[in-house]
Amino acid sequence: MAEKMTFKINGLDRTVEIEPEMMLIDLLRDELNLTGTKRGCDNSTCGTCVVVLNGKAVKSCNTLASKAAGADVITVEGLASGMELHPIQKAIAESGAVQCGFCTPGIVMELYGLLETNPEAGETEMTNALNKHLCRCTGYEPIRDGALIAQKMMKEHAKAK
Amino acid sequence: MDLKYVGKTYIRPDAISKVTGKAIYLDDIRLPDMLHAVVLRPKYAHARIKKVDTAEAEKCPGVYKVVTGAGCKFRYGDNIKDLQPMAVDKVRYIGDPVAAVIADTPAHARAAVEKIVVDYEPLPVYTDAREAIKPGAALIHEGHEKYWRLPTLHETADSNIANTYHLHKGRGEEGFDEAEVIIEEEFNYPLGSCAAIEPHGTIVWFKEDRTIEVWSTSICPFIIREDLANSYGVPVGDVRVHTPDLGGCFGYKSDITTEQTIAWIASFAPGRPVKWVASREEDFTSTLLAHGIRTRMKMGAKKDGTLVALKSTIYHTGGAYADTAVNVTIASTHNSTGPYEFKHCDLTGYTVYTNTPAVGAYRGYGHQESQIATERMMDLMARKLGMDALALRKKNFLSEGKVNAVGETMWKHNGNLLECATRVEKMLFSKPKPAEDADYVYGRSMVTVMKSPKGAPFSTKGCYMKMNVDGSVTINMGGAEVGQGLRTIIRQIAGEALKIAPERVRVYTEIDTQYSPYEWQTIGSMFTTQGGRAIIRAADKLITLLKNTAAQVLKTDVDYLEYEGDYVILRNDPTIRVATAELARGYITDDGITIGDLAQSVSDARLPRYSNPDKNGQGSIGVTYTMGAQAVELRIEKKTGKILVDHFYSVFDVGQVINPLQIRGSVLGGVTMAIGAALYEEVVFDAEGHITNPQLFKYHLPTYKESVEQTIEFVETPDPIGPFGARGIGEHSVIGAAPAILNAIYDAIGVDLFEIPATPEKVKKALEARKEPK
Ligand code: FES
Ligand code: FES
Repeated sequence: MAEKMTFKINGLDRTVEIEPEMMLIDLLRDELNLTGTKRGCDNSTCGTCVVVLNGKAVKSCNTLASKAAGADVITVEGLASGMELHPIQKAIAESGAVQCGFCTPGIVMELYGLLETNPEAGETEMTNALNKHLCRCTGYEPIRDGALIAQKMMKEHAKAK
Repeated sequence: MDLKYVGKTYIRPDAISKVTGKAIYLDDIRLPDMLHAVVLRPKYAHARIKKVDTAEAEKCPGVYKVVTGAGCKFRYGDNIKDLQPMAVDKVRYIGDPVAAVIADTPAHARAAVEKIVVDYEPLPVYTDAREAIKPGAALIHEGHEKYWRLPTLHETADSNIANTYHLHKGRGEEGFDEAEVIIEEEFNYPLGSCAAIEPHGTIVWFKEDRTIEVWSTSICPFIIREDLANSYGVPVGDVRVHTPDLGGCFGYKSDITTEQTIAWIASFAPGRPVKWVASREEDFTSTLLAHGIRTRMKMGAKKDGTLVALKSTIYHTGGAYADTAVNVTIASTHNSTGPYEFKHCDLTGYTVYTNTPAVGAYRGYGHQESQIATERMMDLMARKLGMDALALRKKNFLSEGKVNAVGETMWKHNGNLLECATRVEKMLFSKPKPAEDADYVYGRSMVTVMKSPKGAPFSTKGCYMKMNVDGSVTINMGGAEVGQGLRTIIRQIAGEALKIAPERVRVYTEIDTQYSPYEWQTIGSMFTTQGGRAIIRAADKLITLLKNTAAQVLKTDVDYLEYEGDYVILRNDPTIRVATAELARGYITDDGITIGDLAQSVSDARLPRYSNPDKNGQGSIGVTYTMGAQAVELRIEKKTGKILVDHFYSVFDVGQVINPLQIRGSVLGGVTMAIGAALYEEVVFDAEGHITNPQLFKYHLPTYKESVEQTIEFVETPDPIGPFGARGIGEHSVIGAAPAILNAIYDAIGVDLFEIPATPEKVKKALEARKEPK
């Protein structure tokens, strides 16, 4: 049975109809046309589908859409403000962390979930977070570089404010 | 060479669309009135189809049509026409398409597919070439000798051998009579998957006006266009194929993979676009696999270490259809010499039909699969000769004046392998190897490798260049951006050639056969080389055209003019000049009369004198080579047998670095993939031909925590073919890891392994058999 659900998506309130077994990834991609969230596997292994739900990075392929009821969901489409990219996006774009880019939205959102809540995240936290993502292109080194640059940029922004 | 833009880091033009989630990949495409297809895969890997009952499926909600292979009359394939879009009377591997459902949603299609009932008569299953090749084995393709194939290919009737390639150099096997030391061993590089993070997908739309429009995760839209036109009897120009952004390729999105199957399905829903996206499981079971190459190698040398003869026999588990495997076998065979000269060669490659998914391209294209043998054999030979392994290698390098297996003479401009090897040697051996401790035993090793492109002689890359009224430039080409960064280097090469900043060069964002210049397919690490040459040719033509117009404007002769980017100037008086931008659409004179051509040009580039192999399997079939040295430092955890790679070194002679950030990224990624193959990855089959690990949580790709520290350097001996001296490098980094790791295991514990992946179980066993390395 379809049910009505209201939630905040990328800062805007939306009411949608969802089926009980619907996954968050399907709601985002198929109902809301937010195709920046990617699907790379069948069993919650690759991390391409990660979005931020109530401040926490979650895999949207194994999160029921109904979990988003009343919640605040941010996808990769919600990070930039107008033409101004989020520092994480800037850093990831410039560090060489983007090759094919298919893993990129998930990684950007993982870092957003981590660094917005824990700006001082140390190497262990960073490593554990990024280890949830498969990248076949980069060998990961440029992703680590990008993550560290992003963290630095975000700290500087915070200081400037 | 004084270069302004080439050799510097520029950020890729598609980085922003990718970090904002705006890049459009195949599954992100939504078309009006689109239907969805789900394909039924068989229960058996080899079986006759007795009956397909679709009645129940047809009744399911949302179903538009249920499709089977019945009535399919055509075969397709670029090298061997052994493929059909859907199984007709038998299935040959576990991912063969048996039937499909077209429905309004993927969920409806998925539910209905389960209701299709198929009656099979199982047949014997072969998952290894050695089994399938045995006399008396059941035939996977009865009557395959009747299939159309390229005239250069040679099948064996009444057997599962789809092709035999043979190369004879010097006196062939007889040459071993000149050898004083002979060794022989067998090595295995098992089946694997490119496993790009984006799975395959295709949309096909048969339109009422009899045109066909296709979107696919493919780097060969032009091949798809020609193939579908041929199968459906329409002019080639009436098939329009798009390549959207691609989430990685690594080989298995080249050649035709799933497009003909989806076209067959969509042909039953004329007027409606039909979309299919592979699940991760299907990406393993029903697209192209990689490797599957077993190499038996015999090597002969003089006592002083001069290599004299090589015999390689390659058994390729090619899969149920050999169209895509056959060239991998051939490349693997004639490149099995590695970067060394052998006076006599007897090299044979068998492409064998098996009941496994078809093998296709994988970054490295046959080279790592046979050079795992070569590089292990060099260490074994050195041991037998009592010689230093690196000294043995250096003595036999394909350096200036040497002749390779295919009969090409090597020149200085083929690269300075000695310099690469010397640099890696310094990096690796400048410090002592750590002594064994309570937990670990340490090993290290270095190898040298080479790769040629292996494409098709007619393979060309087109370029269309136009100058805009502000002097900026727009470039359109047919090269597929899979992540390798070709859009960035197009900007840099064009900027350099046209003397304008790369930021003023706008590069195409998708391939559409309706507009894009022809390109056969983006393979073989050849985009920089051939595509770059095409850009330089187009730029030269454009400059000539601009000068011709300028000669009229400045009332002088063309050869008195110089093109300087922003201006065309008179050489003897540079104050007499005209702005290039003013020449872009012809020059508009004071009274409005316009003179000169529109500033646009078209070009393309093939490899020079690239040929088919001759009767000896030789010829101008390599043309351009990149060589390099790689090394590993590793430790073996004694308790578990787990291998931890502490450091990996790569030095390649790439002729000219175009973009330092991107080239490092390419090698970082390639080495990581190759370490994955060497330590973790293998597509495993049970006796019935089912894949037991077709999921990313079972097929172990290297993770963030497993990434390895790498030192990467480049030697730059300019190449005469590529732009500004650049050579191909996209694939080469994957070749050395497997043999380097196996050689380092010997260095650590004195046990020889002959196959990968070197899993903890295998290494644990080796530890039990441990000896002091010689
Ligand atoms: S799609 Fe792979 S983890 Fe969600
Ligand atoms: S950039 Fe391609 S998978 Fe990460």
